[in-house]
This record gives sequence, structure tokens and C-alpha cells, in this order.
Amino acid sequence: MRSGTFKETYPELIALTDSRLVWFWGAVLAIALAAAPYLVNAYLLSLLTAILITVTGVLGLNILTGYTGLISLGHVGFLVTGAYGYAVVSGRWGLPPLLGFAASGSVAALLSLVVGAPSLRLRGLYLAITTLAFAFIVSHLIIEAAPLTNGARGITVERPSFGGLSFASDQAFAHLCLAIAILTLFGTLNLRRSRIGRAFVAIRDNDIAARAMGVNLHAYKLLAFTTSAFVTGIAGALYGIYLSYVSVEGFPFLLSIEALAILIVGGLGSPLGAILGTIFVTLLPELTRSALAMFGSEAEALFSTGAQELKSILYGVVIILFLRFEPRGLVGIWHDIRRLWVHWPLRF
Amino acid sequence: MRFFLELALSGLAVGAVYGLVAMGFAVIYKATGLVNFAQGELTMIIAYIAWTIQTNLTGNVAVVTVGALGAALLLGLAIERVVMRPMLGEPVFATVMVTIALAVILRSSINFIWDAYPHGLDLGVGRSVVRAGAVGIRTGQIAVVATLLAMLAGFTLFFRYSRFGIAMRAVAADDRTALLMGVSTGRVHAAAWAASAVISGIAGIFFAVSYDLSPTMFQLGLKSFPATILGGLDAVIGSGLGGVIIGVAENLAGGYLGSGTKEVAGFVLIIVILMVRPFGLFGQRDIERV
Repeated sequence: MRSGTFKETYPELIALTDSRLVWFWGAVLAIALAAAPYLVNAYLLSLLTAILITVTGVLGLNILTGYTGLISLGHVGFLVTGAYGYAVVSGRWGLPPLLGFAASGSVAALLSLVVGAPSLRLRGLYLAITTLAFAFIVSHLIIEAAPLTNGARGITVERPSFGGLSFASDQAFAHLCLAIAILTLFGTLNLRRSRIGRAFVAIRDNDIAARAMGVNLHAYKLLAFTTSAFVTGIAGALYGIYLSYVSVEGFPFLLSIEALAILIVGGLGSPLGAILGTIFVTLLPELTRSALAMFGSEAEALFSTGAQELKSILYGVVIILFLRFEPRGLVGIWHDIRRLWVHWPLRF
Repeated sequence: MRFFLELALSGLAVGAVYGLVAMGFAVIYKATGLVNFAQGELTMIIAYIAWTIQTNLTGNVAVVTVGALGAALLLGLAIERVVMRPMLGEPVFATVMVTIALAVILRSSINFIWDAYPHGLDLGVGRSVVRAGAVGIRTGQIAVVATLLAMLAGFTLFFRYSRFGIAMRAVAADDRTALLMGVSTGRVHAAAWAASAVISGIAGIFFAVSYDLSPTMFQLGLKSFPATILGGLDAVIGSGLGGVIIGVAENLAGGYLGSGTKEVAGFVLIIVILMVRPFGLFGQRDIERV
């Protein structure tokens, strides 16, 4: 009798999952998500679209912060360059939307090379500092480069249509976001299984040991940063389309913090964690509003006047509480529940 | 020439404020090996507390200063005890994220505790103008430069001669060995947070007296960041001097290259410094034994 599940070959070890049930329920979830835009009301649909876009962006940051263990405070900079890349190429120049998406990713990736090449030679926190500086420089540059970017006035963005499909309706746009989110999810999952992904994790766990084993630290850190920026740029383009108007004000610095909060809440380095974290953190302000509404209209008025501030405080508190009490994040809780389910009534 | 002198002098004054905040960064980094991203927010909160005392109790300079700095001391100790102490021994990533979270909480609490409008902190001093030749300078600006110099001298002596200063350097060099030698690292960390909050508090009050008080004042922390990087994250004295350099450079850039440049001059400088001399002008090169 088998006493457990054992992996006997390397391909088994790195397979995405060994269970057909997981594939089955994953497919059910995908179909449900594809059908959802037609079943829910406009508010929930907009929330769903926001979650899908955020998942894409956070999966991008996860490559850098989760896998490689480097903190970036400047991902809002890549988000905004992605949005402007799309808005300028497809909105102002009138080129095909697919070129716009390509531009949004590549411009962000190119910028990440400029920032990353000097700052990734250093260890530790320096990337957090330079990316923080980068986020401010980028928004300044965008406002200065008015002939290209319309300066502080911003650019209006239309919903795209390509490949014979129009994504003008809310439902179709949600489908586009879903497709890109799923693509990114499998992209990052597969990246993690490859030599490159293992090198990233080796750098995170012990960079000196990784170097001794032949991982070129500078090259791999730069690769992680660039890949992460590319994905974030695409998410930025989607977010710009979602807002239907791209301006520097639409991308406050808080977005960087929100993305880090999502990763920590969900569980660093886990794509599942990124998804769970996104759902939790996106719904948190909504839940708080409902909770405040129970205390009467006065408390709800407080929410509407100080929504941005209240959100910031919530993100901050959530980050501190999770780091303090559950550093593994929601994924850790999920694993505990799963273990409990299998082994109950035994503890182990 | 007069334009240059005016820019340099006002740069010197604002640079002294940056220098004080940068010293706050460096004190915490030196004792705990941690970059405190909430330094600018601490500065802002203390300035707001000073303003509250001034509007509600008395405008007496001594009372306001002592009250606000007392509050700073308590705030520093409270943050260390409640938020940072439980994170002791956790990875750097986690502790730094906690300070970032702390920063957003403090930053946003301004709008709930106080309001979103700018205020002037009028203590009846520091606003009169002294003329030196062709250029005028406010007494508050002279005072902040003098305070910075006094703090620099004080910290030099403190780290070199006082028992506690030596203990702090020991913890910074190697906290485990320091612990074995009988230094209470917990107390050193607490003292570092308190000292850092008080230094930032001084900076905050000077800034509010010379300029204005507003919920965007936390950007003082971001502006002082280049100063700490320039001076060296672990160099308290170097950070103070770095602030002056950044302040003057920023003002000159703003005067000669356009006002938009002023805002980002410091950040551009950070990236340049990190490329050329990542440990700063006065910092120690980080060598790790494998």
C-alpha cells in the first residue's frame, strides 16, 4: 500500500500539478470567469476587471519581489510608462492596438534596463531606493515631455479592437483582461519551473551561494527586473484602457505600496498567493465601506471624504499584521487548511 | 553673483533641514541596520504636534519645542516597542516593508487627525530678515544651520567618547558580539529610534517655521534620502553634511535649469552616487565574509 505521494522523477517534481482534479476545477473556474461578465451587474463587472488587471501587474512584481527577493517601490513608474506607451502609440499616433501593447511592455522593459543596470550591481535595499527615485523622475519626465505625452492634461484612450474582435463593450474588455491574466499566470508559473526561475529563487535564498553555483547575479537580477517591468507595463496599458484616460494623477505612488501589500498578504513568491492577495486587498476597501455603513451614515461619509487615506491606512495595517502574524500570507493559511482537511483528526 | 549667493544661501538653509532628517535616517541605520522609510512621516507628525500645541495652548517657543520634542521621543519609543521590536530577527525585507507600511499609515493619518490644508507655524521668531551685504536671510534659516552644526559636533563627541555612543557603534558593527559583551541591544535600538525621532522633530519644526505645514511635508523624507545616500547610510555626520550639499545643489539646479529640475535633482543624484560610490562619501565599504 502506498503511504503517500512520492515524486520519483524530475519531470514529476516540476510538473505544474500532479492532480487531474486541479486541472478540472481550474477549467471550471476559467469557464465561470468567462461567463461571469454576462451574469453580474456593472459594478461587480468593473470590480472583476480591476482584479484581473491587478493580478497581471502583481504577477509581474512577483517575479522580482517574490522570486528574486528584490524590493521595488517604483513599479508604479512601469505601470505609468506602460499606460503612456499604449496611449501614445495607439491613441495619439493611431497605430494598431497590438503595436500599442507591444510598445507598453517594451518601453517599460527598456526603462527598467536604464534603472536596473546601475542599481542592481548593489546588494540589499539599494534597488528599493533607486526605484523610489525612479517613480518620481518618471512622472516628472512625463509632464515635461508634453509634445509626446500631452503633459499634465493626459491622453484619452479608446477600448481596442484587433484580430477581428472588438473589445469596446465592458464584457469583451473583461474577457481581454482575463485572457491576459491567464497568459501571465501560466507564463510566470512556467518561468518558475525553468532554469531561469530556479536561478531567481537561488538568488533570493542566498545570493552568495547562488553565485558560487554559477548563477550570474547581475545578469539574472537584471533579467528578473526587466521581465517584471515588461509584465507590469502590459498591466499598465490595460489599466490605462480601464480608466479610459491616462494621466500622471491616475497612477499615484500608493499603487506601488498596494502591489507590495498584495504580495505580502497573499504570500510572497506564489502566483496563487498573488491572486488570493489581489482579491483580498481589492475587496478590503469595499468591505470596510460596508462595515462603516453599519455604524450609520456619518461613518460612511468619513469613507467617501477620505477614501484614499483610509485605503492607505488599511494597506499599511494589513502589511504590518500579516508580516507580524502570518508571514507566509494567505497561501500559508490555505496550506494549513488543506493539511487539516487531509489529516484530521490527526494534527500532522 | 547675487543671484548665485541667494540661491546658495537658501539652499544652505533647506539643506540643513535635509541634513537633520538624513541624520535621523543614519542613526537608525547605524544602530539597527534598517532603512526607515517612515522618517519623513515622523518629521511631519512632529511638526503637526508642534502646530497643535501652538494653536491650542501657547505660542511660546520654548514650550512648543519642548512639548513637540517630548512627543517625538515618546513616538519614537512607542514605534520601536510596538511595531519594530516584534520584527527583530526577521529578514530585512520584512522589517523594511514594515517601515514602508508605517510610512503610509502615518502619512494618511494626518488627514484624519488634522486636516488637508496648509498651515503656518508662527512662533514669533525666525521670520525676521537679516541683511548680509546684498542678500537677506531669515533668522530661522541661520538657526537651522547653527543647529545642524551643533548636532554634528554633538554626535561626533557622543559616538567617540560616551559609553552609550560606543555601545551603539558596537551594536552597529556586530550586534551578536555586542550582546555577548553585555550591551543591551534592545535598549540601543530604542534609543536610536527615540534619538532619530527627536532629530527629525527638530528638522520638522524648523521646516514648518521657515516654510509651511502641509500633508505633503512627508516628501521631506524623500528629499533627504539622497543626502543619506551621498553621506553614506551608516555615516551620521556624513549624512548631515550630505544634506547641505544636496540642498545647495537642488537650489542651484532649480535656479539655473528650471523649477521642475529642482524636484528631481536629488533623485538623479542618488542614481549617480549609487553608480560611482554606493557606500557614500563617508560610509564604510561593505565587505562580507562568505
